[in-house]
Amino acid sequence: MKRIIIIFTLFLSVFYSCEKDDFCTKNPVTPMLIIRFYDNMERSNLKNAELLSVWAEGKDTISEYKSITKDSIAIPLNSTALETIYHLKINSFDGNLASNQTETFTIQYTPEEKFVSRSCGFKVIFNDVTFTTNNNWIDDFTPFNLTSIENQSAAHVKIYH
Amino acid sequence: MSKYITSLFLFLAFTVSFSQEKELGDSVIENDSIVYKTPYGLRLGIDISKPIKSSLNNSFSGFELVADYRISKRIFIATEIGFEKENTIEDFTNSTSRGNYIRVGLNFNAYDNWLDMNNEIFTGFRYGLGLFDQTLNSHTPNVNNLYFPSEVINISLTESDLTAHWTEFVVGIKAETLKNLFVGASVSYKILLSINDPTNFKSLFAPGFNRIFESGTGFGFNYTISYLIPFTKK
Repeated sequence: MKRIIIIFTLFLSVFYSCEKDDFCTKNPVTPMLIIRFYDNMERSNLKNAELLSVWAEGKDTISEYKSITKDSIAIPLNSTALETIYHLKINSFDGNLASNQTETFTIQYTPEEKFVSRSCGFKVIFNDVTFTTNNNWIDDFTPFNLTSIENQSAAHVKIYH
Repeated sequence: MSKYITSLFLFLAFTVSFSQEKELGDSVIENDSIVYKTPYGLRLGIDISKPIKSSLNNSFSGFELVADYRISKRIFIATEIGFEKENTIEDFTNSTSRGNYIRVGLNFNAYDNWLDMNNEIFTGFRYGLGLFDQTLNSHTPNVNNLYFPSEVINISLTESDLTAHWTEFVVGIKAETLKNLFVGASVSYKILLSINDPTNFKSLFAPGFNRIFESGTGFGFNYTISYLIPFTKK
């Protein structure tokens, strides 16, 4: 009997020591919008956006895109709304405040939740995506529509300036 | 290293000597006049690990009845039926599974009892069937960014009539503590044969099967107290 109690306690401790064993290794599961900047004249050449700052309507500037010079950015979309309005500021002349140029780039979509796994939960994908802009410093972009943004393995929008 | 090899040879030297002790005599095999009879009958019990687990763990409740019937010296038909409910809390989801299950199979007693003792060290296999439903109580979309954080969505979604089929390998012990009263403990390794998943979600826990791992396997544990109703002695 004593032996049985010992074995039982041993089993029980093994049983309860089974804690969470998996962590989400697939992050980021919800894709960000990837934009690459190209030269409007030589359309196959990447062209840096000078002193670029990025912020969404009514929000602070995204900390990693604060007056940086880059040819591609990955920005989050608001999964709780049907559109996200981004302001993209560049300054390619002299860095003075007066020569800032700000573009308003609007992304409209229908968010959809998709189950990934126990540890990763649900991701959000964006369907029926439409891009619009006010053509301030952006001359052109492609494509105008996307059926869905499901991953971030490649650029979603090419911007020519 | 050479020390170990030397001692290994030394050890082997002794084992050889044993092989010479084979009896060649044509001794008369006397039949033992005393035959120890053991009872045959239906054994009924409950799994008391489930109430213990329920009291230790707020997110679980369950009950299990166990029964077996001896059909030969070593073989028993065994079954377990029960109810389980578990609230599974993960990083991004909170769900509850509840339902009934039945497991049917055979146990093989590998233990040679002394005299009229009636203990068991057994192995066995089971086929398991669980009927359950799973409710997604709440979830948080995994958007993984702080610029547009996601909120907890408290929409409860229930999917009913889910089924799980599985097989189990069981190893355990049973000891007769008082006359006809047995205590037993066993562990089981389960392999999922098929399971329904809710649409756009996954069955994370199946009653009778326990937590479902990515590989479709699971573990179970059971501690029983059972009473034997003897029908006959053989």
